[in-house]
Amino acid sequence: MKSIIQTINLTKKFGDFVANNNISLDIKEGEIRCIVGENGAGKSTLMNMLYGLVAPSSGKILIRGEEVKMTNPLTAIGVGIGMVHQHFKLVSSLTVYENILLGVEIKKKNSPLIDKKEEIKKVAKMIEDNHLQLNPTDKIEDISIGERQRVEILKMLYRNVDILILDEPTAVLTPKEVDDLIATLKLLKEQGKTIIVITHKLREVMELADSITVLKHGNVVGDVLKQDTDEKEIARMMVGRDVCLTVQNDRKHTVEKQVVYQVDNLNVLNDDGKKVINNVSFKVNKGEIFGIAGVEGNGQSELIKVLTGLMEAESGNVILYGKNVTNRWPKELRKEGIGIIPEDRYATGLCREMSVSDNCIAGYHDNKEILKYGLYNSKKIDEIRDKYIDEFDIRLGDKNGVIGNLSGGNAQKVIIARELASKPKILMACQPTRGVDIGSIEFIHNEIIKFRDQGNTVILVSSELSEIMSLSDRVIVMYKGQITGEISPTEVSTVEIGLLMAGIKGENKHEK
Amino acid sequence: MALLNSILYDTVYHSAPIILCVIGGIFAYKANVLNIALEGMMLNGAFVSVLVMYFTGNIFLALSSAILTTLIWGLIFSYFGVSGSGNVIVIGLGINFIVPAIAKFTLNMMGVSNISLQNISVSDFKIHIPIIDSIDIVGSILSGHTFITYLAFIGIIIMSVIMYQTKFGIYVRVVGENEEAAISLGLKTKLYKYLAILLGALCAGLAGINLSLERMCMYTNDMTAGRGFIAIAAIYCGGGKPLESSLYAILFGISRALAVNLSINAGPMAGIFDTIPYIIMVSVLATVSYMKFKNVRVRGYTF
Amino acid sequence: MRNNNETLKHIINSLIPVILAFALGAIIILFTGNNPLYAYWILLKKSLFTSKGFLDTLHYASPLILTGLAIAVTFKANVYNMGVEGQMLLGGFFAGLVGSSISVGNPFIEKFICIIVAIICGMAFAMIPAILKVKCNVNEMVVTLMLNYGVVKVLEFLTTGVFKDKSAGYVATPTINDIAMFSRFGKSRITAFFVIVIIVLIVMYFIMKKTKLGYEITAIGKNPEFAEACGMNVGKKIMVIMLLSGALSGMAGAGWMLSDQFKYTLSFSGNPGLGWDGMLVALLGGHTPIGILVASIFYAALKTGSDSINMYTSVPKEIVALIQGIMILFLAVKFLKEKK
Repeated sequence: MKSIIQTINLTKKFGDFVANNNISLDIKEGEIRCIVGENGAGKSTLMNMLYGLVAPSSGKILIRGEEVKMTNPLTAIGVGIGMVHQHFKLVSSLTVYENILLGVEIKKKNSPLIDKKEEIKKVAKMIEDNHLQLNPTDKIEDISIGERQRVEILKMLYRNVDILILDEPTAVLTPKEVDDLIATLKLLKEQGKTIIVITHKLREVMELADSITVLKHGNVVGDVLKQDTDEKEIARMMVGRDVCLTVQNDRKHTVEKQVVYQVDNLNVLNDDGKKVINNVSFKVNKGEIFGIAGVEGNGQSELIKVLTGLMEAESGNVILYGKNVTNRWPKELRKEGIGIIPEDRYATGLCREMSVSDNCIAGYHDNKEILKYGLYNSKKIDEIRDKYIDEFDIRLGDKNGVIGNLSGGNAQKVIIARELASKPKILMACQPTRGVDIGSIEFIHNEIIKFRDQGNTVILVSSELSEIMSLSDRVIVMYKGQITGEISPTEVSTVEIGLLMAGIKGENKHEK
Repeated sequence: MALLNSILYDTVYHSAPIILCVIGGIFAYKANVLNIALEGMMLNGAFVSVLVMYFTGNIFLALSSAILTTLIWGLIFSYFGVSGSGNVIVIGLGINFIVPAIAKFTLNMMGVSNISLQNISVSDFKIHIPIIDSIDIVGSILSGHTFITYLAFIGIIIMSVIMYQTKFGIYVRVVGENEEAAISLGLKTKLYKYLAILLGALCAGLAGINLSLERMCMYTNDMTAGRGFIAIAAIYCGGGKPLESSLYAILFGISRALAVNLSINAGPMAGIFDTIPYIIMVSVLATVSYMKFKNVRVRGYTF
Repeated sequence: MRNNNETLKHIINSLIPVILAFALGAIIILFTGNNPLYAYWILLKKSLFTSKGFLDTLHYASPLILTGLAIAVTFKANVYNMGVEGQMLLGGFFAGLVGSSISVGNPFIEKFICIIVAIICGMAFAMIPAILKVKCNVNEMVVTLMLNYGVVKVLEFLTTGVFKDKSAGYVATPTINDIAMFSRFGKSRITAFFVIVIIVLIVMYFIMKKTKLGYEITAIGKNPEFAEACGMNVGKKIMVIMLLSGALSGMAGAGWMLSDQFKYTLSFSGNPGLGWDGMLVALLGGHTPIGILVASIFYAALKTGSDSINMYTSVPKEIVALIQGIMILFLAVKFLKEKK
């Protein structure tokens, strides 16, 4: 087979940090290549260079044997490279067809105006040709995540690309949608397209790939054909040591049958008046890790916003240790003993531009320990910071610098240190290990289990199924704002949860 | 009856400059650049047109220099705000400071307190539309306005078409709503921001010419009196949609027309009527914003 | 916490706009046929390099420090209170009315009442945009910009009508009682008001640096979502910040009334007004109290000098407003990247 993309010693530096170091790839025409690696291994940077979003510091990119200077996405599209980003680049107030034709609109003859009819016709034909389900005139804001991904793929196909790069395409899909996507990609391969998939999910790698490239710390550490390898070997290459893919979690402790946190018939509307949480009720016992699973965008974010005081519920009750705390403000909730690890670290957990010390007191900044006679004791605050750094092994260059300089894992540890320091009764942990390196993931998981083992309660929200399964004592699954089922992670297979996540209720099981 | 006629005529008259600012300003608004320099740009159009007319007596020179200089302000705004990624509010304020200062400086150099044109008269600008003019009441309201006044109203339609039917309009909206989407398809986002701002400057310049040269043949200091800010309020109320935002601009025209006409009969109370338009705009803005905000369940404020 | 390097960058970022503005101003002065260096020398000589002139400058800087602080507390929280000018005018006007109509006999209490009334007026007026922002999510900037025009018109109406001093030959309210006036120290114009301002400045320094409110203002300004999640109840804090800003503005108006103007005229606040000057001062001073102190003294010197410039050269005094505008324009851009 001919090479279609080659990179020769491609390097990208951001300041002192080397994101990609002398990467040499050779991707053949018509193959599906998976590029795997941990968070921060440099996968996205590499793809952004291929797509012209980031300029290489040095090295060459050859397309069909000829060197191409990728200066912007148009160059990439011009030589036939299309990219589907992890965070979709769609304009939600525009329709499906407008998004697909963005930048290549069809104009009426001899007129500067756009020919909308012709556009819709063309897009409808494309949808049919590719056996996809989509309505060209729907607005993006009204369609599902899976559908949006199809719009992204069509957007690229319309531009006649024959190389398609997909960045973490399955992160936000249900297991069923993942299967559909895999089928679509294989169909595209049959049509002669070359496909590059960036992912860290090994199961899909084994299903999809013809060949696999493993990145670690910006270097290529492995380049293998699928038939010559297995999941374990790839995992070892990714991390550089044997990883135990499961957490040490002996569920031997006794969960007391004491309900400490209870949500009753909770209903939440979004800004458009649509119900995003529909009659959700659950009870959490003292001393358990209570998992909330589901594909992203099924109401978990809103639920957490309501439970942490950032959004108002329409109706329903939230009861903490017998006290009604519905629609309380974050400050009051923290006073009541709820520790919060927010979903989006840099939006609601930390302030990137403030110092590490300032971030260490956030949320607890009217603590008498640091605030006397209305004035802060900065010495004391620095002591608290140093204590956190020490106890949680937070690694940072300049402890007087801003927190934005910390890596994802270390920044997350600051939050966890801060929230646990107040000795909460309940910890709300939302996506606690998102964008965190494997070392820190282990550390954070152990902290959560340790906290539980001290007799405290944890509510864990995560879209990483493996995280939910290995940590939780009990799991509920959410789909479209409703709870589709409750399961015990030790007794249920991933397939069954997959069904619940897709909204298919496991009623048979409950009857048993 | 005469009073009502007069109010309606004045409504058209006072709406025009605000509408112009609105239909120009919506593009920058949609592109996510808040252009509070509309005020200064409008004043620039007003000042330069009258100044050049005063010295040269050449109407084309007056118009083109007014438009050209306003576009330069637009370029300065874009360069600092888009290319230099400066704080657009501060840039806008800066321009709103500099323009009146230049005007005052110049008037001071000339040793006058305002410029009144002798070489042209207000009636030279009025256009009487043949057929409409002869219709009884309608004629007295709709006819006898200046060219730019008519342009403002026609502009609402033109800008609607540009906003929704052309590539430029789509791109401006995309740049404002999801800049990354635009970048990922290789759209030149900065270019569209520049163009959106310049279109706003062009319209603000025309509004200024309308205000000073066309309608009064004179320039006085600070004659824009916050119309640029009112236009921004109208844009906010109408969510940047050409037609709706223009309706709010017309609402200002109505309140202004009411204030002017009622104050003639109000005697010493006349002074207080001047505040009506501002109070109405604040109330409308509050009501519109409240209607949007009351359904928001997420706590907190975006700035 | 900011290290020295960052502070240096900060100062440079404030100095470059000043230098550029003066350079552009120099070109304009050249066009008027004057020597820019001579003009600038005139501008600054008296107001900075003679002891009486310097004390006068401090006097003129006093209200600017307050309006500068008023702007800074809101801008720092990313709340754009453009109504400082209106709040200041309202405060000054009512301080003048109280000072001329009520006489309690004791000069301290008299002044105290005037200032309190002004503070209340400033706060009341600041409440309107604050409530609209918090309850209706109305853009506070647009509201305050428009309400400023409203206030100017209302006060113009009141001054020319109801409260006009019939005995004055021009439009003005009655002169305040002698006991309401701050008396001058010696020959210069400086009064006890400057001392009060410095005390307020020190208090504000501690508020911004050392208190919970200061911490919260910073957090809200940098990331309002984060601030809300950390339990700061951003809505309530916006009200508090606006009230504080209104109080400072009102106080500026009162001080200007009781220490300099003694009656409300249509040119009470000058042109551009003290509120607008406060904005330049706050931007120039990087929203920090010490920066504001330096910036307002510098700017007051310019403004006082602008009278001399009219006297000794043929450069119109508007050159100062022009330079001010150019400075604001350049201050919008950070020439050196700050980490902050």
